[in-house]
Amino acid sequence: MYCDVKVKERTGIINPIFTCQPCGVQFASIGIKDCIGIVHGGQGCVMFVRLLFSQHFKESFELASSSLHEDGAIFGALNRIEEGVDVLLMRYPKAKVIPIISTCSTEVIGDDIDGVVRKLNAGLLKEKYAGREVHLIPIHSPSFVGSMVTGYDLAVKEFVTYFAKKGTPTEKINLITGWVNPGDVTELKHLLSVMGVEANVLFETEAFDSPLMPAGNHVSHGDTTIEDLMDTANAKATFALNIYEGGKAAEYLEDEFNVPAIYGPTPIGIRNTDTFLKKLERITGKPIPESLVRERGIALDAITDVTHMFLADKKVAIYGNPDLVISLAEFCLDMEMKPVLLLLGDDNSKYKSDPRIIEFQEKLDYKMEIIMNADLWELEDRIKNGGLEIDLIMGHSKGRYIAVGYNIPMVRVGFPVYDRAGMYRHPIVGYRGAMLLAEQIANTWFADMEYKHNREPVLNVW
Amino acid sequence: MPYHLFKCSECIPEREKHAVIKGYGETLTDALPLGYLNTIPGSISERGCAYCGAKHVIGTPMKDVIHLSHGPVGCTYDTWQTKRYISDNDNFQLKYTFATDMKEQHIVFGAEKLLKKNIKEAFKAFPEIKRMTIYQTCASALIGDDINAIAEEMMEEMPDIDIFVCNSPGFGGPSQSGGHHKINIAWVNQKVGTFEPEITSDYVINYVGEYNIQGDQEVMQDFFKRMGIQVLSTFTGNGSYDGLRAMHKAHLNVLECARSAEYICNELRVRYGIPRLDIDGFGFEPLSASLRKVAMFFGIEDRADAIIKEETQRWKPELDWYKERLKGKKVCLWPGGSKLWHWANVIHEEMGVEVVSVYTKFGHQGDMEKGISRCEEGALAIDDPNELEGIEAMETLKPDIIFTGKRPGEVAKKIRVPYLNAHAYHNGPWKGFEGWVRFARDVYNGIFSPIHELSLLDISKDEIPTDKGFLTQHLLSDVNLSEEVKNSTVLREYTGDYDALKRIKERKYPEFPRKSGLEGELSAV
Repeated sequence: MYCDVKVKERTGIINPIFTCQPCGVQFASIGIKDCIGIVHGGQGCVMFVRLLFSQHFKESFELASSSLHEDGAIFGALNRIEEGVDVLLMRYPKAKVIPIISTCSTEVIGDDIDGVVRKLNAGLLKEKYAGREVHLIPIHSPSFVGSMVTGYDLAVKEFVTYFAKKGTPTEKINLITGWVNPGDVTELKHLLSVMGVEANVLFETEAFDSPLMPAGNHVSHGDTTIEDLMDTANAKATFALNIYEGGKAAEYLEDEFNVPAIYGPTPIGIRNTDTFLKKLERITGKPIPESLVRERGIALDAITDVTHMFLADKKVAIYGNPDLVISLAEFCLDMEMKPVLLLLGDDNSKYKSDPRIIEFQEKLDYKMEIIMNADLWELEDRIKNGGLEIDLIMGHSKGRYIAVGYNIPMVRVGFPVYDRAGMYRHPIVGYRGAMLLAEQIANTWFADMEYKHNREPVLNVW
Repeated sequence: MPYHLFKCSECIPEREKHAVIKGYGETLTDALPLGYLNTIPGSISERGCAYCGAKHVIGTPMKDVIHLSHGPVGCTYDTWQTKRYISDNDNFQLKYTFATDMKEQHIVFGAEKLLKKNIKEAFKAFPEIKRMTIYQTCASALIGDDINAIAEEMMEEMPDIDIFVCNSPGFGGPSQSGGHHKINIAWVNQKVGTFEPEITSDYVINYVGEYNIQGDQEVMQDFFKRMGIQVLSTFTGNGSYDGLRAMHKAHLNVLECARSAEYICNELRVRYGIPRLDIDGFGFEPLSASLRKVAMFFGIEDRADAIIKEETQRWKPELDWYKERLKGKKVCLWPGGSKLWHWANVIHEEMGVEVVSVYTKFGHQGDMEKGISRCEEGALAIDDPNELEGIEAMETLKPDIIFTGKRPGEVAKKIRVPYLNAHAYHNGPWKGFEGWVRFARDVYNGIFSPIHELSLLDISKDEIPTDKGFLTQHLLSDVNLSEEVKNSTVLREYTGDYDALKRIKERKYPEFPRKSGLEGELSAV
């Protein structure tokens, strides 16, 4: 077997690939309209996550803290949630959805966030906010379990579980995008639109790329409504494009409301987009229109220009969110590249039985390593001390110093990307995304050829 | 009373005493907001936690150290690559961060074994690094791991290593300020006095409360070296671990950020008799006065005067070029803590801007006292501001520019106020004479941006001239300037390099003959 799947041998983490669960929950909550989460823990658990979002999107998002201080850590801090909900509701008249997001500290001290929500529903909301639509949703996301990826998966499920309500069946599908960029959402909506398919999109984050308007608009927010979430119970099917980022919610909707769950594919690359559209066609009965044949053709035309001349046999290391990493590797293979190292940054035991990883193990004819519970040192150590030679790194900005330090060209992809401008706007999904990504890979390689005077004259004509 | 209650905060009246307007002719006692109190939950305050105050602000700028956080991975990840404190050892502390990766089973059964393994692994990965700081987090504090005991054990097992332990969990105090205090005291308790340095000068200082944002420390160290002063240690930007263990051997503590690091200076004064001298590296006058004060302490005023003269001659015409163009521009000075008083008066004096508001996220009342006394009458001072108050203030005050953090800067951008990063700077360093000109240039480029000009227009409503192909900063800034200023042969725009540190790195320093026996005399002061 050429594909070696293993767990990082070291215990600790040197340069993490992921942050912890509460970040994933916060990312899901900013996708919902009129939603401001309260993170129950120290202030850093919110302040830094807001900073991270603003590093990536160059925007500010609203998230609140219960501001756990020393007394709360000792005596319990549920009173801080009660006060926090009240203050938030008084000052943000639009706020309707308030997830109460626990962290490691408040899970360790055992604060009963479910109990306090019941208390607030029976008390404060009835008395002071009678007639106002408010949804308090306790979400347990201890930082010592899983990662930001599982936090996101969990949050999508919690929101769907809270809101989904059986009504009249619709022709819509549920589209759970996973942890993607506004540019990806635009592209996915484009595919649905030309297919003539309507969807409840979880989450509508296109508006994260928000304009600078004459009247001013101080924060960015998602546009998925409470109605969208309620309606998820009535859809024809749920497409959880990323298995690890929305799969749980799809499973819930299938179990509870018999809405068929379709897991994957993450539509990165031509082949995965084909699979997505074919599945969509099968479920909705809507044919794939000529315009997509053309779009696909344009992408293939562009990708062919760079594939066997430039990309073939280039060795790549990829790290980041699991569905992203796996599907990028699949796309790279179609472009004749050789992903030699995939790093998955948490200890999810399901990776081992992931059919896509099993396919790597069964079919690859060169050596690929997949490291689970990985950190970025797994990559750097192999380069610095293990003699690993790679031509390209694909991953998010936290790994930038490996590229900088060892002069390896790097394509920024995933979350967070803060050292390149506007990447959140560029789709990597769909045919267009495949084309743009292939071109970005090629252009990154070209720039590197020039800086290093590495056969750069071949670029004169191709 | 000059208290100011924001409209958006009328429903939380306790906020009233956290904001004041500096009234005309009023004394400071009439106008001091409350400070450093517990945050109101749900208010969307901008404060961070005590872990970040200890680890992220003060701990991590130490350059030759493995910075290991004992807890789940998030604290480590979140405080990594979000600051601009560089170092002259290829930024080791920026590039590498370490987490013990505490999981559920460790919460239940304890994580001390996990910590031990982590320590060994980290030193194995970086054999050239022999020093480590371990940071407690909320999780490791609550499960009660004895990090100090583990550190002692490991130091016995591996004699060539040294470990510092910082117990400052995120929930310890109203803001990051609690962490500043804890790590100051922990360092002086655990590490000062455990290393004997080589003394190479008759004049030896610790440079304290300086974090080398974009090279500030290297700029200031350059001045000290040109005066023949040995900077034994810097607490902590670009500082080395062993240098900081030797702080007890300095003759003088030169203190920059009194908010985050006065604690250790006060302890060093009590325990080792080392005097504290507060200085200010921002602005021509404060910096000149500071260099003179330090020199005066050692009786080498002539050396300081020579530097001040040379630097002022070189850079003052450039500062004044910007001052002429920035006169009367309104500034919201909204940093984290100490910069509100470092900058409040000097940006008015030397750049000509009007400070219409000051705020502090984690400052104490003492910081406000200094800040308010230095800012303009009529200015609005806010303690622990929150999102809505910030927006309300900007909409009322209509500043031309705001100096604040990265994320609040995004809010400002949306309501069409240009922002400069007060914590990490735009094109720093901003300390030193040249640095101060770089700051002025950043302010100028922020305010007089043709793109910013366009963002103020509404294409659907406003009259927009159709005969203009482009505008430049000059065309915007020089509209109402007198011919004399416009055509001045003295004033000029910034002429330094993109990287201001290059020249410093190449500098050869003069050798000053040493006087014998002076060392003992001075340390007895």
